[in-house]
Amino acid sequence: MSALAVPRAAGAPAAAPQIAIEGLSKAFRRRDGTLHAALSEIALDVAEGEFVSILGPSGCGKSTLLYIVGGFVAPSAGAVRVGGAPVTGPGPDRGPVFQEFALFPWKTVLGNVAYGLRAQGVPRREAEARARALVAQVGLSGFEAFYPKELSGGMKQRVALARTLAYDPAILLMDEPFGALDAHTRTRLQNDLLALWERDRKTVLFVTHGVDEAVFLSDRVVVMTRSPGRIRAVVDIDLPRPRHRAELLLNPRYQRHVIALEGMLEDGDGPRPGGRP
Amino acid sequence: MRRLPAGLPPLLALAGLLAAWEVASRFLALDGLPSVPATLAALPDLVADPDFARNLLASLRRMATGFCLALALALPAGLAMGRSRTVAALLNPLTMMVYPVPKAALMPLIMLWLGVGDLAKTLVIVLGVSLPVLYHAYQGARAVEEKMLWSAAAMGLSGPARAARVVLPAALPEILVGCRTGIVLALITMATSEMIARQSGIGAVLFNALDLAQYETVYAIILVIGALGVGLDVLFEGARARLVGWAGPPPALAPASA
Amino acid sequence: MSDPRERIRVSARLREGALGLLPILGLVGIWQAVVSLGLAPPALLPAPGTVLARCLAQFANPEFLGHAGATLSRLAVGFLAALVLGVGIGILAAASPGVLAVVRPLVRVLAPVPKVALYPAFILTLGFADASKIALVVADAVFPILLATLQGAAMVEPKLVWAARAAGTSPRAALLRVVLPATLPSILTGARIGLVVSCIVVFLAEMITSTDGLGYLLVRAARSFQTVDMFVPLIAISGLGLLLNGALGLARGRLLRGFPEEG
Repeated sequence: MSALAVPRAAGAPAAAPQIAIEGLSKAFRRRDGTLHAALSEIALDVAEGEFVSILGPSGCGKSTLLYIVGGFVAPSAGAVRVGGAPVTGPGPDRGPVFQEFALFPWKTVLGNVAYGLRAQGVPRREAEARARALVAQVGLSGFEAFYPKELSGGMKQRVALARTLAYDPAILLMDEPFGALDAHTRTRLQNDLLALWERDRKTVLFVTHGVDEAVFLSDRVVVMTRSPGRIRAVVDIDLPRPRHRAELLLNPRYQRHVIALEGMLEDGDGPRPGGRP
Repeated sequence: MRRLPAGLPPLLALAGLLAAWEVASRFLALDGLPSVPATLAALPDLVADPDFARNLLASLRRMATGFCLALALALPAGLAMGRSRTVAALLNPLTMMVYPVPKAALMPLIMLWLGVGDLAKTLVIVLGVSLPVLYHAYQGARAVEEKMLWSAAAMGLSGPARAARVVLPAALPEILVGCRTGIVLALITMATSEMIARQSGIGAVLFNALDLAQYETVYAIILVIGALGVGLDVLFEGARARLVGWAGPPPALAPASA
Repeated sequence: MSDPRERIRVSARLREGALGLLPILGLVGIWQAVVSLGLAPPALLPAPGTVLARCLAQFANPEFLGHAGATLSRLAVGFLAALVLGVGIGILAAASPGVLAVVRPLVRVLAPVPKVALYPAFILTLGFADASKIALVVADAVFPILLATLQGAAMVEPKLVWAARAAGTSPRAALLRVVLPATLPSILTGARIGLVVSCIVVFLAEMITSTDGLGYLLVRAARSFQTVDMFVPLIAISGLGLLLNGALGLARGRLLRGFPEEG
């Protein structure tokens, strides 16, 4: 992936995007046999090292878009290219972090974090040593031998993040990762994620329905509408980094972004024809 | 892909099983494995035989009696276990101990006490059906949400009224799972006890045919018993869907056995 | 132990255990009373003490142990074969819609068939020896295990598989390393039912036709009206069932350490 590193012009995506989404559509078959258009004609480029949020109401297909980039779900039309190659399935260049954590309940914290390394043939001893370092990095030293059921939601999500970071994917695909956490824990994890990203500068595709979360974290925010899911607007978040929550809250530009994005979400959130499947 | 009508795949499966049987009988050429047409040809004679019909009806009568008695005994006991820790603590170890005992194996002892008549065979069926009904009623009643009962109490329902109008319907889906297992168990216990006692009933007829080396008849009876099992299951599933349609699709197939 | 709450919990557990003994002791008490009051002749109902003494004597008797061993070996072979078949087919069906489309209707037709009715067919094709009894055990035990595996595998969170696939696990390896362990709680529930079923079925098969095993001992005792000896194999099979069930429970506790507790 490093061969594709291109210096990025401020505000706009670079010429050779790391993720290129073109003409992407996805339709699901409902129980009664009719088709439900989840995504329609999505086009989006994401540059290497960019933090892009996909913001939209529930049911707008934003998670589906992420799953297609991950290679977990096949599109009905269109294509996704990552690093120039078309996506045909999941791969360790794109690491997912799910709202549901999806930790392996039969493995300990250490076993979960070491899983990806073991899957790629790293010897047990080395995998565990590296996993131990990652567990420490997400602040869970001392919990290595715990099972996921013994952890709080915030701790589980830290383990899930460490499990994905362990195999060093170039891209993080985050599917409402903090959606299941309480407000206080969510804020802490947002801060930690931002610190991590400012250090590693991995490409992040971050699905959320929280406006302030999207503005706080992102370089760009993609706003989606529902039924079918389309891109309504792409907003550049021209706020300086490193960002600190307390300063941002007082920053008029931050406030304008939040108000504008909330307005867009409300417009697109009127009564829906047909309802959700 | 178009969906197949719901009844078709099982019919195809049945046809596949018969085809596999036919192939096996041609290739193995065993005396003990007649061909499918020969077996099917033995069916009309079997069904028309008044003796067979009498035995089959006797079996079914015992089965129905045993099943209903078991339901009347085990259902209240199971519900009480689910709602009272004391009752559960009282009855759990006993059921654990009785669980791995083959109920049909009690046949020789019970025959010794009660004779070879209907009473012994029906009692064995009652014993066989009671445990799954008891267990599932227990699980169902235990899972009833406490807050549902609080709401009912707040509306002024008395204890017995709550049991009849809240616990019973809420536990019904789980109870029906137990009943489904119970029906298959009743059939199995019935057939097995008759195989062991060999006095009357379809199980006795089956083994008598085996002793007389009437192999086509043996297989024809197996088909009849199998059809009985599947038929009862289909009927029950239909009734279940009507009764507890609100509870969603069935919790897979009830693992019915022994 | 020094924690008072812990002590209260232990004492509650003890009280519940004592409560559970009541009906069992009560039944034995009624049994003893019936015998003592002369309500039943000893030929029909021997005293509990007599049965217990015969049990203890038989459990040390090499001939009896040989019969118990025959039963145990049939049970073990049949149960393990059913476990391998049921889990194998269940996981394959979970992986492949084609296999599932074949397995599901077959199960729909075969699961409600009373398998003992197939026993004569097994005898005719496999003979009167061990093979037909083991086949009956497999036929009976495989369905609860297969059904539990199918149901469990269908409920595995797809994101668990996705997480593993993204980490570089191949689809086939994910079946073994994610789907199988994630289905384990369900498989063990099915295995528990399958084990009890195996116990019951092997005993019945031995009762119907056999020259050895615990079931045969019961029939032999019944033919010669040795009522005391009829109780012994029944108590032995119950004990065997409890023992095997306990062993499975221990294995379950170890294997499912990480999984959330069930209801």
